[in-house]
Amino acid sequence: MKDILKTGIILLIIAAVAAVALGLTNEVTKDKIAEQRFLANEQAKKAVLATAATFEDITGEDLEAITSTFAPVTEAYVGLDASGAVVGYVFKSTPNGFSGAVEVVTGIDGNGTVTGLRVGSHNETPGLGAKAKDAAFFDQYNGKLTDGPIGVSKTAASGNDIQAITGATITSVAVTSGANASIDAYKWIMENGGIGK
Amino acid sequence: MKVSNLTNGIIKENPIFVQLLGMCPTLAVTTSAINGIGMGLATTAVLASSNVAIALLRKFIPAQVRIPAFVVVISTFVTVVGMLMEAFLPALFSSLGLFIPLIVVNCIILARAEAFASKNGVGDSLLDGIGMGLGFTLALVILGSVRELIGNGSLFGAALLGANYQPALIMILPPGGFLALGLLLALYNSYQIKKAK
Repeated sequence: MKDILKTGIILLIIAAVAAVALGLTNEVTKDKIAEQRFLANEQAKKAVLATAATFEDITGEDLEAITSTFAPVTEAYVGLDASGAVVGYVFKSTPNGFSGAVEVVTGIDGNGTVTGLRVGSHNETPGLGAKAKDAAFFDQYNGKLTDGPIGVSKTAASGNDIQAITGATITSVAVTSGANASIDAYKWIMENGGIGK
Repeated sequence: MKVSNLTNGIIKENPIFVQLLGMCPTLAVTTSAINGIGMGLATTAVLASSNVAIALLRKFIPAQVRIPAFVVVISTFVTVVGMLMEAFLPALFSSLGLFIPLIVVNCIILARAEAFASKNGVGDSLLDGIGMGLGFTLALVILGSVRELIGNGSLFGAALLGANYQPALIMILPPGGFLALGLLLALYNSYQIKKAK
């Protein structure tokens, strides 16, 4: 009996010390981590819309209208230049790839040109679908026009088509569908006179 | 402190090739050589510090509850390291952060705590942790290099085999992990047998 009590108390002490250590570390690092994540997010948006100096979240009714009509778009941002004028929009979408959701960030400027696209977290096959993170693939979206949807070709890129990654057509189509949903959302914003002006 | 505690882990008692420990992260992350280095070094850091902590606490922890105590100590360590890294070393975190949560489930750490650190002094445990970690890193880099070279035609991200090389994709898919590991184990064993004769 005494033994059990002693062992239990020692284990309790270890767990308590661990809990305090974790709590303290969390307290110290919480704000810093939030800041780092915010910076990383801003950089990701800047990578696809370089002309913007700051970004504003699109929230409320506008976001609801976008996400309900233009799935898989989940987040949208207005890009503002240094003087506060709207230079474009950034959309985050999560189309389904070969194995689960693929995070796609698409930037579109005020003239209706895709200024950049990046693939974020994903679970695609290494060496195949994971190549969507290579510049050779995502740079194909630069300069695509929003007049019509972007297509996927298995042989060669032409016009508004991009060339699929060899052996990863599903991933290529998924990323493109994310880009196209973003384009549709962009058009909707433009038809409604723009957000953030 | 004995130097042999440091060198044992690298070749003679290599955690992967001899002890066959930590197979899950081994097979999962070695799709490229650079991944092997990242996982290996992150594991080395955790292994060395958790070995020291366990060695310090070894007289305090009762034998009956040593496993839960080790698990609490190790997972606290890993979480604290992960949080501190994300907050203060974001560049390092972006390349190693992916591997941090995987280390918690790495049985090498628990195995070394149980087999070595709970029976030896702080200095020897530190050496053992570093040695085992380096041995793990070495094995992961070899495995990752073989798989990346055959499966992607590159090494550390640099294309080596030219555009005409048709990569054997299976090598970077899960089956290739088993194939490469099995063949490397066979090679290692045949070398050891020859040496013994």
